[in-house]
Parts: sequence; C-alpha cells; structure tokens
Amino acid sequence: LTGLPNMVTDKTVLLNNKTVEPDTGVIDASRDSKGMILHLQRFSTDDGPGIRTTVFFKGCPLSCMWCHNPESISIKPQIQWLENRCINCGTCIKTCPKNCLTKAEQGIIIDRKLCDGCGDCAENCPANAMELLGKKVTSDALFNELIKDRIFFEKSGGGVTLSGGEPLLQPDFSATLLNRLKGKEVNTAIDTCGLCSTAAIDKVLPLTDVVLFDLKEINSEKHRAFTGQHNQKILDNLLYIRDYILNEAQEKVLWIRSPLIPGATATPENIFELGAFIAKNLAGVAKRWELCAFNNLCRDKYRRLGIAWEYAGTPLMTKEMVGELEQCAKRSGVNSEIVFATGPTKIEDS
Amino acid sequence: MTTAIPEKPKYTIKEPKNLSHRIKWLRDYYFQGLNRKWNNEFTGWTTGTPWDFQFQEGQYYIVPETYAFFSTFTGAFKQTAKKVNLPADFWKWSLPERHAWFIKEVMVHYLPHEILPGDLIAGGRFNLQASTCLNKKEASRYRKMVYGKNGVRAAILWLHNHGYGNVGATSGHLIPDYEVLIQRGWEGIYQDIDHYYKALPDIEKTGKKGAQLRAMLTAATMAQDVALKYSQVCTDLASQELDADRKIELQNMAAMLKKIPWEPARTFWEAVQSLWLTHMLVMSDESYPGPGLSFGRIDQYLYPLWQKSINEGMDREFGKEILKCFWIHCNTVYDAMIRTGGNQGITSGFGQVVTLSGVGPDGKDMTNDLTYAMLEVIDELTPILEPKPNVRLHRNTPDRLHDKVIDMISSSQGAPFLINFDERSIAGMMLEAKKAGAERLINQNNVYDYAPVGCLENTMCGNDRSGTVDINLNLLKAVELALTGGYDLIPYTDLLTGKTESRRIYGPATGNAERFKTWEEFWNAYVVQTRYIVKKIAELYQRTDEIRAKFLPTPYLSCLVKGCAEKGKDINEGGAEISFTTVEAVTYGTTVDSLLAIKHLVFDKNICSMKDMMDALKANWSGFEVLQAQAINKAPKYGRDDDVADEMGKKVMELWTAETWKYKSRPTGKQFRPGMLSWNYWISDGYILPASPDGRPKGKFLSNAICPSNGADINGPTANVNSVGKVIGGKDPDGKGDWLEFYNLLPNGASHTITFNPSLIRDPEHRKKFKAFLRGYTENGGSCLQINMVNADMLRDAQKNPENYKHLLVRVTGYNAYFTAIGRELQNEIIARESHQI
Repeated sequence: LTGLPNMVTDKTVLLNNKTVEPDTGVIDASRDSKGMILHLQRFSTDDGPGIRTTVFFKGCPLSCMWCHNPESISIKPQIQWLENRCINCGTCIKTCPKNCLTKAEQGIIIDRKLCDGCGDCAENCPANAMELLGKKVTSDALFNELIKDRIFFEKSGGGVTLSGGEPLLQPDFSATLLNRLKGKEVNTAIDTCGLCSTAAIDKVLPLTDVVLFDLKEINSEKHRAFTGQHNQKILDNLLYIRDYILNEAQEKVLWIRSPLIPGATATPENIFELGAFIAKNLAGVAKRWELCAFNNLCRDKYRRLGIAWEYAGTPLMTKEMVGELEQCAKRSGVNSEIVFATGPTKIEDS
Repeated sequence: MTTAIPEKPKYTIKEPKNLSHRIKWLRDYYFQGLNRKWNNEFTGWTTGTPWDFQFQEGQYYIVPETYAFFSTFTGAFKQTAKKVNLPADFWKWSLPERHAWFIKEVMVHYLPHEILPGDLIAGGRFNLQASTCLNKKEASRYRKMVYGKNGVRAAILWLHNHGYGNVGATSGHLIPDYEVLIQRGWEGIYQDIDHYYKALPDIEKTGKKGAQLRAMLTAATMAQDVALKYSQVCTDLASQELDADRKIELQNMAAMLKKIPWEPARTFWEAVQSLWLTHMLVMSDESYPGPGLSFGRIDQYLYPLWQKSINEGMDREFGKEILKCFWIHCNTVYDAMIRTGGNQGITSGFGQVVTLSGVGPDGKDMTNDLTYAMLEVIDELTPILEPKPNVRLHRNTPDRLHDKVIDMISSSQGAPFLINFDERSIAGMMLEAKKAGAERLINQNNVYDYAPVGCLENTMCGNDRSGTVDINLNLLKAVELALTGGYDLIPYTDLLTGKTESRRIYGPATGNAERFKTWEEFWNAYVVQTRYIVKKIAELYQRTDEIRAKFLPTPYLSCLVKGCAEKGKDINEGGAEISFTTVEAVTYGTTVDSLLAIKHLVFDKNICSMKDMMDALKANWSGFEVLQAQAINKAPKYGRDDDVADEMGKKVMELWTAETWKYKSRPTGKQFRPGMLSWNYWISDGYILPASPDGRPKGKFLSNAICPSNGADINGPTANVNSVGKVIGGKDPDGKGDWLEFYNLLPNGASHTITFNPSLIRDPEHRKKFKAFLRGYTENGGSCLQINMVNADMLRDAQKNPENYKHLLVRVTGYNAYFTAIGRELQNEIIARESHQI
C-alpha cells in the first residue's frame, strides 16, 4: 500500500455532526476511485466464513464509547507513535513540515491540532515508530494484494471482508473493489455498523455474499448515548437488507453481531430484546448471531492516539457473565443453534 | 538431523495416554535415563593393534560443536575399547572383510543380549565404537590425510572459522531396502549377493569386487546370528517366567527369532521384529547411532502383513502394542552418549523418519488403516522423539487424515510430525532425475515412492544415498566477499592464541564494492563470489568423501542398498544406484534481504553510500543505528509476498542451485544437488558471520533454511507461504512443470517452519480453516512444513527480543495487533492468557 500525502476532501460524509449524506447514484467506473484504508489483514479467521483477507476502512459514522479500533473512527489520516520501536533518533521532529512533534519525557508528543497527517514523519522514520494510520489506495493496488490469497480463499470457502471503520461510508470505492473481486469469483463480505444511506446498500449489496451486521442496542435513546446515533436507520437498513435477501438473493448470508459491553449493552434486557427482534424479523435469514464479549486490550491504541477512554479501567467479563447472556439470547425466541459467544473472558485467579 | 530447535514448553506439556501397563513401564523406564540399570551407551572394541582407533571424526565434521573434542573422543574410546580375539589370518583379509567379520563378531559374541520386562521386540544394545580394522599401512595413510597442516581436519576448521559453512561425508541419512527385507528376508538378500559373486570372472573374484562381495556375504548372516542369540534369551526367560501370558509371548518370540530375519516375515509381529533387528545393526555397522537412518514408507511395506495378521485374528490394539515397543526401541539411540546428556531424548532429534501416507500411482491416495494406527501410536506416546514421523499430504489426501493431523496438532505444542507436500517434492525428484540422467531410476512410474530421510530430505527408497547433511553452505559469505572483493570483512582471530590473521585475499578479486556505480556491478560481483564458495565447499567435500571411500567401508549397510552388490562396490564408494550429495544452503533469507538492502539503500534510494554500509558492518552497526534501522525497516524483505523482493529471492535461488549442479565428487562419482536445511547452523553461525546489510548484527540468528528472516514476514502466514512457493520454483499455469504445474529447484526439499497462535485451532470451525490452510499450502507452498504453536514462553522471548517477532500477531476477537507493538503491561496480560489457554 502506498501512502498519499495531503489528503482527502471526501465529502460523502461529514464526521463533525455525524450526518450521512445521500449518495450520488450509480457506480462511476470511469474513475479509478481511491479508498481511505487503514490496513489489510491476511489470514483472517474471525471475519466471516473461511480464510479471509480483511480490508479495514477508515472512517465510521458511529463513535461507540467502547470502540476496539479507535484509529478507524476518523476518516482523516492520523499519526501515531509506537514507543517500542522508537530508536530516539529525532528524525521525525526534524522532518515534520508543521513542527508539530516534540520530544518529552514520556516520548514523542504529537500536536494533533497542527498535524494534518501528511505522513512525512512516518515516511522518514527509520524504525517505523511513527506510523501513518490511513492511506488513500486505488482499487487496482488493493485488488492486486487481495487476489494473492485466492487459493486459500478457494480451499476454505473464504474470501475478502470489507470492515473498518465502515465500508459503506465509501460505497463507490467498495463497490468498485467488490465488483472486481466478483469478477474473479472471490467470496465477498461486508462488516457494517448498519448506518448508511439506502443508496449505499443498493450499490454494495448485490456484490456481497455475506453481510456481517452489527446490532448493538435495541433502545434507540441508549443507542444514541452509546454511539452518538439513534438506531432507527440501522434497523431500517437491516430490514431493507432482509427484504433484498428474501426477494432477490436468497443465497446471500446474513450474520448479526452484538458487542457485549459491561454497563452498556451487556444487559439481559437488551440481549433478550435484540433476540426478540431477530426472531421476529430475521427468522431463517440471519444464519448466525454472535455475541462478542468486551475487549479491553485496545487501551494502548487510545493512549497512542491521545484519546481518553472511558473503558480503560473496565475489566473483561467473567465466563459466567458471558454464559448468562448467551443463555438469555438462546431463550429470546431465536433459533438457539445460531447463537455463538466469542471473545475474551476474565482469567479466574487460580 | 532436525531442522527446528524444539520449543520447550514450561506450561502444560502434552501427556501420553492410553498406554498399557507394559508400555507405560517401558516408556517410564526409558525416561529414567542414567538411572536405568540397562542402557545402550557406546562400547569400544579394538583389534588390539597400537595404531587402531574407533572414533570416525569425519562423521562429525558437520557438527562444529564437537570439533574441540575430537582428540578427547578418539583417545577415550581407544582407552576403553575391549580387545576382540582375531582369527589367525585376519590381517590377510581385505578391509571390508575385516570390517564385516569384526562387527559381526562383536554383535554376536561380545555384546550382551538382553530383553526388558514385557518387551515384545528383541534387539537391545547396538551402539558401538568399533575398531576401524585398519592395518598399519592403511592407518598411516588415513592419518596423513586427516591430520597435520595439510590434513582435512585443518581445512574443515578453516572453512568453519571463516564462515563458509561445514562439510563431511556423514553416516546414516538414507532408507535401506527394508521392503525387500520384509518380502524376501536376509535369505533373499544373501542369494542375490551370492549370485553376483558367483558371476564374477575369477580375476575379479580375487580382486576388490570379490573382496567386497565376500564381506557382504559375511555381513548378510549377521542379523540371523544375532537373532538366534536373542531367541535363546527368550527361551531362558520363558522357562523362569511365572506369568502365563508373558511366558507364551516369550515362547513365541523365541520361535520367531529362530526364523526371522533370515526368512521372510509371515506375520506383522515378525515383520516389525525383523525390521528392528536389521535396522539397529546398520547403526552398529556404521558406529553411528542413528541420525537420518530412516524407514521410508513404512505404512506401505508393512501393510500387507498388518492386514494379514488382522485377518488372522490379531487384535488391532496388540498390533499397536508391537509398534509402541518398536517406537521405544528407536529412542534408545540416544543412549550412545548417555553420560554426557542429562535430558534423555527430550531436546534433540535423531531423525529416524517414518513416512506416512502420500500419493501412489495415478495420484491415488495411499492412506490405509496402518497409517492411522501409527498416528494413534504417536499420539498416545507423545511426547517422544523417535522415530520422527513425516506425513505426506497431497491434493487427494482424504479429509479423515487431514482431521487426524489437525487433531494431533491441537493437542500438542505444535505438530508432533513434519508435513511433506507431495506435488512440490515430486517435482524436485523429477528435476534431479533429469539433471543426473537418472530417468531410468526415477520416473513417473515410481517417483511417488520417494520418502524423506532425517527430517525432510527427499530421496528414493532402498537404492539411494544422497548425502543429505554432508554439505552446509552459508550463502551469505558471498555477499561479504562481494563487498570486500574477496577478503574477509573482519580478519579471523583465533580464540585460543588471540592471533589475528593478516589481511589476505581468499575469494576472486572482484574489486572493492565502494567503487561500484550500479547495482548490476554489485550483483555481478556477488555472482562471481557465489561461484567461488560453491566450488570451494564442493572441493573440500571430496576430500572427506575420499577418506570415507578408502578407509571406512560398511558392508552390512551395503547389503541393504540396491546397486552395491551389482557393482561389487561399498555404499561408501558410491555403490548405491542413486548417489547424490546434497548442498544444503544456509542463510538464504538473510542473503536475499542483504542484497535487497544494498540495492535499496545504496543504489535505488541513495540513503547511504557503499562506504557507509561497509563502515557500519565493520563496526557491527555501532554508531550506525539509524542506518541499521533503515536496513531493517525500510528495505524490502523476502517473505511478504512482495513480487519484487521475491523475484530477487528467485534469482538467488537459481544462481546457487545452477552452480551446485556443476559438480560431481570425483572419488565416488556422486552428483551434487541442492537443498535447504539449516539444522542449528542458522543460530551458531550467526556468531561467526559478521554483521549483514539487512541490519542483522553479528551474534544474531541468521535465517533458517527457506524461512524468511526472523520477523520479516509481517504479512502473515499466507504471504509467507506464497513467497516460499515462488522462490522454490513456482508453478506453470499450463501444467507444464516438472510434475503437473509444479517446479522445485530443490530436489532435497526445503525446511519451512511457521508459528501459529493456538487460538487458531480452538474449535472445530477454526480447525476446518486450518485444514484449508494446509490444502492451500499444497498448492502454493514449499516441500515441507513444520508447524509450531506459539506459547507463553515464546511470548516472553518476544518481549525480550521484539525484533525477532515483528510478525507475531495477537488476535482476540474484534481486536488485533502485533504483539511487539503493544505495551508491556498488555503483553503481560496476553502472556497470562496464553499460558492458560494452552
């Protein structure tokens, strides 16, 4: 992946006030669009069926309090400093055209108001301790990387997952990419938070084999409190996808994923009601409902991005807590065979 | 020889299971090590002449750790050797006849014959340091070739100390013709030798060929004479035995040992007994305990008798019980030096490989019930080291075998076996047939019967010795010589005397690289220096090959290798039908990365001058930390599925393998062939070779075999696999490779290790994905894979040495990061988690 300096006036989304603009329409194949991409992860075994390469998009319309990948929220490129790699040479400070880096006792300090993510420091850092999060990449370049694992996709029933961040915030790029992958008969998946325009779904869904759809909180007010947005549009989109699958493409696979967040979504009421919603609306269509236990291992990422994180001190859930919620889900009316609990739980003192 | 240094997990070690009282006792007794009353340590035997000696140091030229002890070993074995009474005309016989008679005399009349309680297989002591049986004149000629300023020993030390690698004609490392043994017995083998002897014209009968065949005829009767001794032991034990069942077992053994291994085996039990006695005597014949002496396709040639015995009423579990006894016997090789190594059999591997499954004619899968029975035996006995299994996978491997393989990986710390990949391996065998003009012996009608020796070194069975560990070449030396124009970058200092060599040119004078204007100039110098190091090592090898051929015959082993009787030639003289010697290239990844770093930093991006680079290397990067970081982090690397970097890898591979094919060993006629196996050299030679342009300082590990350099494969296992597949030869999309679409520039095969996180195989769904990964490896990867599962110890090591573990991905659902890029506190948490999971 090549980095592009000086970025990005992608106007599909305004992150400040979290509104989602309507899409412009059909795929414009004439321009080889560029996507704002965080990174690729090959040999992914937890992002859909089989062995997959996951493309992490940058930029998300939600800002969940517990987000595990905070570097994917902003669509703008960001710089982070990895202390373990730093050899203390000061190259970054000398290189920065805006003088936004300083050396302090605790390491390199990034003035995030000044930094525009040009990436010069990362380009020049001999130790890769300065890292540019988010690069503009052409679908060609991305496709050429993704297709390299085709044999592993074929042998495992896997393929490519667009995740993030939110791939549906960059629907034209996503569609272009998916279109090329379908041209090579690669299985495709999107991992979506569900908040996007209907037009975005219309572009991407026909090119997608598997939809991994997040359902976090059934109560809309709470949803807004946790993620910054109401859930109405998300639920509408889910039903829209359901209808599409039922009416036009029954071979498509829908998985629901729900994060279990202590003090937020991880309540028996919420899980029960999410289950009731799934049972009522998605019976036979949703092939899997994953309950993903809270994970605090990302607190380093927040620290490096200079963001205070409310969950930094929250411990992992116990096996019992996760087990109870799993039982709750199974009693909610959902076909209990589609319920799976994943993620880390607290290590008991032994 | 093993390829990987096994991880020694401190946490939960897999426990053996489903062991009968008999096997549990035998296994526990074995692991008592030095506390055992019985053991199989070396015993020394002499002809009693003042010039006699036992220790064949040439067998250990490829083990630099032993160099300092050669004189000690030689002296110690000589001092403790017991005299064997010789017949009056002994010294009138030829050397092979003396050798054959001597080994047989010791094994039949001197070494005790014992059977441990409950054991179903006879054949205890076999580790010898036997007299070389040289007469005075031969001994003096031998000494002249080995010792002194111009002797081969000094040349070997020079080669090692200057970082080229090491060479030596080494014992073991082949698959004797056990299939013929099982089918025809020693009787059949004897008849064949006798036939060739009788067919000799009289003049040749009295000559060298006649002597060799007479020696082989003597040797061919050894196994049965030893068996008769054990038969008597069984009879004696049976007469005193109170347990009725055991009494019957001993009586049965006494009866069978009167017939086999001379006669063909008629039952599965007889076959395994015959196999073991015959096998252990090869080690006696070579005075060499085991390494690489392999069994070949054991689940194929034993299968007819397995089936027959099962049909005749043998309980399948009893069949496994016989195998478990055989397995434990294989581990007694480690007793050879039992007093010097405390941890019996745990830390190393001798590599008596058993090959399981694999393809047959027309791509048919050959997995059978015995394959599964043997995997069960391994699973139930593990942890145990010998015999080392190598499971052959291919496009038509059944799901059931894949499942069993993955189950076993899941329940152990990594795979308790190596995995060989048939299509890639066979492409290499077809290439060597072409290169050596051996199509009559290796062709599409028999190539599927290849099997690995040692660990992954592919050979044919029963007629092939390919010297698979004889030559170990550090490719990186050529980069050093290309930089300096033929000089050592840092002159060698003798550790004992503290003397530093004066500056001398050893390689071709390609000129100081500081004056090169273009990358092509540097590449050309590298090509010239690669030619030089291959030639250098090939020439020195021939001296060790000549010494073995002249003075160290193994007539018993020669009986078991097709070609020797027909030619009237000892295997050590090149008697085998197929005779290669293999150059195993070490430091491949480090070499490719070093070339990439020079190209990128000096020529493409002008980040430093060649002088800066040379100064940095001479200073071991001290004072050049920024340049070192750039070399490590900014230059491209092999192992990332980066087509440009892998193209460099392919060029390096094509160059050194083409050079290797140019040579034959004159004393034996053996053709050199390429392979990649690094044993432990990639660790130890890291202290000899100076800093390298890829950013590695002196004292750090080199790359292992065909693996990318430590920490280079940051794009994960599939990218790593794709890179390996490309550089080993790639594929032809139209199916016009050397085998189907496949090419393999390394007929010997290449060692490839990948480490995974155990969470990858935590549940059936993920195991299925792992299975698919292996199916993908079959298509895109190399010839052989060792799978390690990361454990808490390794994570701790990663904390201490993050530069070696940049690729280590920690994955917990919804979150992923490279282990070394996260804070220490979190690392500790993940370590705690892993140690609970495993």
